[in-house]
Order: sequence, then C-alpha cells, then structure tokens
Amino acid sequence: MVVVYSVLLMGVLGFSFGVFLAYAAQKFKVEEDNRLKEILEILPGINCGACGFPGCEAYAKAILKGKADVNRCLPGRPQGVPEKIKKVLEGSSG
Amino acid sequence: MKVFLLFFAAIFINNFILARFLGICPFLGVSKKLETALGMGLAVIFVMTVSSAIAWTLDRLLISLGLDFLRTIVFIVVIATFVQFVELFLKKTNPSLYEALGIFLPLITTNCAILGVVILNSMMKLGFLEAVFHALGSSLGFTMALVIFAGVREKLEMYDLPEPFRGTAGALITAGLLSMAFMGFQGMVKI
Repeated sequence: MVVVYSVLLMGVLGFSFGVFLAYAAQKFKVEEDNRLKEILEILPGINCGACGFPGCEAYAKAILKGKADVNRCLPGRPQGVPEKIKKVLEGSSG
Repeated sequence: MKVFLLFFAAIFINNFILARFLGICPFLGVSKKLETALGMGLAVIFVMTVSSAIAWTLDRLLISLGLDFLRTIVFIVVIATFVQFVELFLKKTNPSLYEALGIFLPLITTNCAILGVVILNSMMKLGFLEAVFHALGSSLGFTMALVIFAGVREKLEMYDLPEPFRGTAGALITAGLLSMAFMGFQGMVKI
C-alpha cells in the first residue's frame, strides 16, 4: 500500500508541477536567436566544459557573440561539430 | 506572539548564514556587487516563502499517509519547481540580473538554507502561519546578511589590502567578523 501511495503521490506532484512550469514557460517565453538553438543541437550537449565555458549553452552564446572560436568543442570534433557550427554562422550572415 | 518571535529570531538570532552557517555558497558567490546580492536575496525570499507554505501542506499530507520518508524528495521537488519558475521569470523580466546571477540561480534548488527552512519547519512542528513567517524571517535574514556583506566587499575592493588577503581570503575573514558581530544576539530569545 505504501508503494502505491508513494508512486501516486510523486506522480501527481510531478505532473502538476510539470504542468505549472510548462504554463509558466509559455507565458514567460523569451525570443531567442534561432541560431542559438541550432548550435545547441549541433553541440554534443554533455556540458563537459572542455571548451572552457560552463556548459554547452554558455559556449553557444559565446560563439554567437563572437567571443569564442568554433573549434573549441573537443568531444564534438570527430563528428565534425566545428564545420557544422561554421555552416550555421555563415548561413545566417550570407 | 510566537509568530513574531519566530520571525525576528530567524532574522537576527538564528540568522541562516551568520549563525547556522547554511547557504554559504551564494553568500560568497554573488556578494561581489550590491545589486546582484539584492536580486539574489529577493529570489531567495520568494522561493523560500512560497515553497515553505506548499511544503508545509505537503508535509501534513505525507504524515497522514504515513509516507514521512518521502519528505526530502518532495521538498526538493517543490523547491526546484519554484526555482525554475523564478528563473523563467527573471529571464523574461530582467535579463541582466539573470546573466549576473548565472549558475547561482539554479543552484538555489539545492541550497541548504531553503531545504533547511522547510525541514526545520517540519522538525519544529510549526503551524502553517508560523512556518510561513519563519521562512519569511529566515529569507529576510539571508538577504540582510548578503546585502551587508556585499556592501562591505564593495568597499573592500577600493582599499589597498596586503596581497594574501585580496579576493576570497579577505571575504572569508569579513564573513567571520560579520558572524561574530551577530553573535551578540545569541541567546536573546529561546524558542
């Protein structure tokens, strides 16, 4: 019985808080540079910090601001991440 | 009466940073500028008060269902939700503060001061109003300590300190002195 109650309670709590946050996310939506999302999708998303930034998002922002080179992502190098990011940056400006 | 006692005791006597030594991470992390410190303090006030009100209700539910062992995880879920909410809200309304707080904003989630308040509320078996005022007082005390400390640190930047005392070392000594000053309040109220 305890297990059932626990699962039920956590499920209901998680669901209701999730709905609340989803609603808040919609309401407080911020228009972001589309390229940020594209670069984030290209990056491995493992937040290893090898690029010298705290997490992939910070690195993507630094790239967009022109503060960082595209070739700093070590784990992504074999998959050709730098080239892909370059393409995104060039595609938008050209 | 007990509500007011709890409220003021939480601000001055049992100050979370200076007397209980909880929540030291943001205390040292975001106290370099007065403005950021104030922003952090406001975020903590909101999260602490709202989550302690909700956590109190859920705590009663947990006790009545005999699920006390879920307390910690339920509290963390509640706190994390409100921290996320604050993050979304700040990102929309005050992007510069959002940038300035950086990683310390999501870190409120696991801030021991906030979890500490809700667990203390539960342990001290406080009523709803008492719990909310205890949390409000604690968060005000947190903000006060943070703002005082940030003010001192801003001034400290301008003085010619000896090399070994610059930066974090000086900040830690300042924190110790501040904490000693607040020791004067110790034992004024017994709860």
